[in-house]
Amino acid sequence: MNKKLQWLIPPLPWRLPVAILLGIFFGLGILVLYLSKAGSYLSDDPKACVNCHVMNPQYANWAHDAHSRVTTCNDCHVPQTDFFNKYFFKAKDGLKHAYAFTFRLEPQVIIMEKETRPMIGGNCIRCHTETVQKEFLKPVLPLYHNHLEERYCLDCHRFIPHGSVGGLASTPNALIHPKKRNTVAGWIKETNIAISNE
Amino acid sequence: MTEIKKRIPWVNWVLFFATVVVVFLLGLFASSIVERKAESEYVYKPRVKIRELEPRNSVWGENFPREYQTYLRTKDTSFRSKFNGSAPIDMLAEDPRLVVLWAGYAFSKNYDQSKGHYYAIRDIRETLRTGAPKDPDDGPQPNTCWSCKSPDVPRLMQAKGIAAFYKGKWASLGDEVVNYIGCADCHDPVTMDLQITRPALVEAFKAMGKDITKASHQEMRSLVCAQCHVEYYFDKKRQDSPDVAYLTFPWKYGTTAEAGLKYYTEILFTDFIHQLSRTPVLKAQHPDYELFLTGIHADRGVACADCHMPYIKEGGQKFTSHHIVSPLANIANTCQVCHRESEETLLENVYERQEKIKQIRDLAEVELVKAHVEAKAAWDAGAGEKEMEPVLDNIRIAQWYWDYAAASHGASFHSPLEVSRIIGLSLDKSKESRILLARLLPKLGKTGEVPYPDIATKEKAQQFIGLNMDQLKKEKEEFMKTVVPLWDQKAKERENSWPVVLEK
Repeated sequence: MNKKLQWLIPPLPWRLPVAILLGIFFGLGILVLYLSKAGSYLSDDPKACVNCHVMNPQYANWAHDAHSRVTTCNDCHVPQTDFFNKYFFKAKDGLKHAYAFTFRLEPQVIIMEKETRPMIGGNCIRCHTETVQKEFLKPVLPLYHNHLEERYCLDCHRFIPHGSVGGLASTPNALIHPKKRNTVAGWIKETNIAISNE
Repeated sequence: MTEIKKRIPWVNWVLFFATVVVVFLLGLFASSIVERKAESEYVYKPRVKIRELEPRNSVWGENFPREYQTYLRTKDTSFRSKFNGSAPIDMLAEDPRLVVLWAGYAFSKNYDQSKGHYYAIRDIRETLRTGAPKDPDDGPQPNTCWSCKSPDVPRLMQAKGIAAFYKGKWASLGDEVVNYIGCADCHDPVTMDLQITRPALVEAFKAMGKDITKASHQEMRSLVCAQCHVEYYFDKKRQDSPDVAYLTFPWKYGTTAEAGLKYYTEILFTDFIHQLSRTPVLKAQHPDYELFLTGIHADRGVACADCHMPYIKEGGQKFTSHHIVSPLANIANTCQVCHRESEETLLENVYERQEKIKQIRDLAEVELVKAHVEAKAAWDAGAGEKEMEPVLDNIRIAQWYWDYAAASHGASFHSPLEVSRIIGLSLDKSKESRILLARLLPKLGKTGEVPYPDIATKEKAQQFIGLNMDQLKKEKEEFMKTVVPLWDQKAKERENSWPVVLEK
């Protein structure tokens, strides 16, 4: 064990250049973490998904849908079975996104991948458990209840919550500013009227 | 030292090149992020530069054609629902009792259903309530009446100061406030974020001990509406601006009807003395936001914009419809976003609530009219101030509650339960006042029923309270013909001097 570690330590005359090179390497790594706002991806905040503008239409569509009152992006698009699964998926998906991003492979119209369908289908049922119970559905939809197990919710409810498919050009004026928000006009703040209690 | 010799040279070379590749890719990734960040700045490429406090909606429209085009549809007055809509409706003709209830106040002269934001300036000029001022210091109303009518208001407030804007007669700013309600009333010119531009709402939040800067985006989608669609009064007793009709919301104790009554009672505020009963009356002004807050939709986190400005799609592009109108005009894009019932069912659900509220509202109005008329009979029979005090007290409260429900737009849908409760309170107080009157009148030698006036039509009702409508209308016509064109002329000259700068 000790010997193997010894093998990693460079000989004395090499130590200075190696330390500098390693510093550059890690410095660049930290720079990438900072630029990509890597920390934000650990959260469930939908604003992390519009760190770049590629997902603007999806964000805008979701924000204008009833689902935005109760769900975040991750509630549907990330497995919620357990902690390990969730972050393993996030890491995997993040790497894929980074790859597509770097080589400019993202499409104009983003469509869900086949492999994620079961996961998203499961997430629908996670909240709408009662709605899909056979006993409940039978009297309401006598013709369809038999096929429940053979398909995902989104096979039929295709437009929830993002509406029909829309490309990058579909929401040109959905200006999304996750960072700053001035709820009170600047000129009012400059007057002597009291605004906050602090 | 001996260990180095044991190393195989190609292992080091592999390590070296692998690191080169990793660092290169990381650099590529980093540079692509930086590029995308720069790119996202240009996702939205404006055509013209919008100056801060730009009041002309058409200038904003250059950059946001879809939003502007839909906003222009507020010009459309064709939609009429069972009780409201955007169609022009003469509310006094529809319900002549209103004339008697507001006897002694400008609302008895003229009260029309609000048509749409497009008509904000036109309507305030045309209504008989603003009179027919002949010069800047003439007329019945203060400048405060402009507060909610135009994006010229924040422009002037910024230039003159808030209290200085409210100061003076309504006619003095006639040539300055000319653009109808629009973009700059709710939006930041650079980020397009929703923004509060009326100080009264900021001050009202402060008075409640709340901080409006903490409002979420979803709350802002209602609060920009709450800048105007609320109950307000003109505070003329402010120490920092005496004799100025300072626009104020009575929210110190909260936003309920009771909280407003408590506040007004505490500061001894009265809107007008009733011409018949001599009651010191409180006139409620469209507490739309307040009553909405008490309803189930607000409770579930729905904002005004969710139903009045739905997300729509035109030619593959999605945007928020700025055609602000009753959701009943577009049930598919509003109600049915959440509710799965058919249009007919949903419409029936709304109408059922409105009809039931209308039923008790009518009862409350008849009671109130009777109370006013009987109080007048008591005065005429020689009643003393002391005897009348408890009577008028009850009428005052009854009228406040009734008006709070009646003046609010859409309240019987926004919050049917709360509205029926408030009307119930009004009915109780009217009855109470009439019981007192029924005991008082015989003591004054008046027995038998006080006859209910013939107020079957608006004209009859206005005649009953002694309004000379022909005179008022003639003066208004003259004002529209002589004064208003001069205002428009002056405004045009001013706005022509503001260049529209194209963005590169």
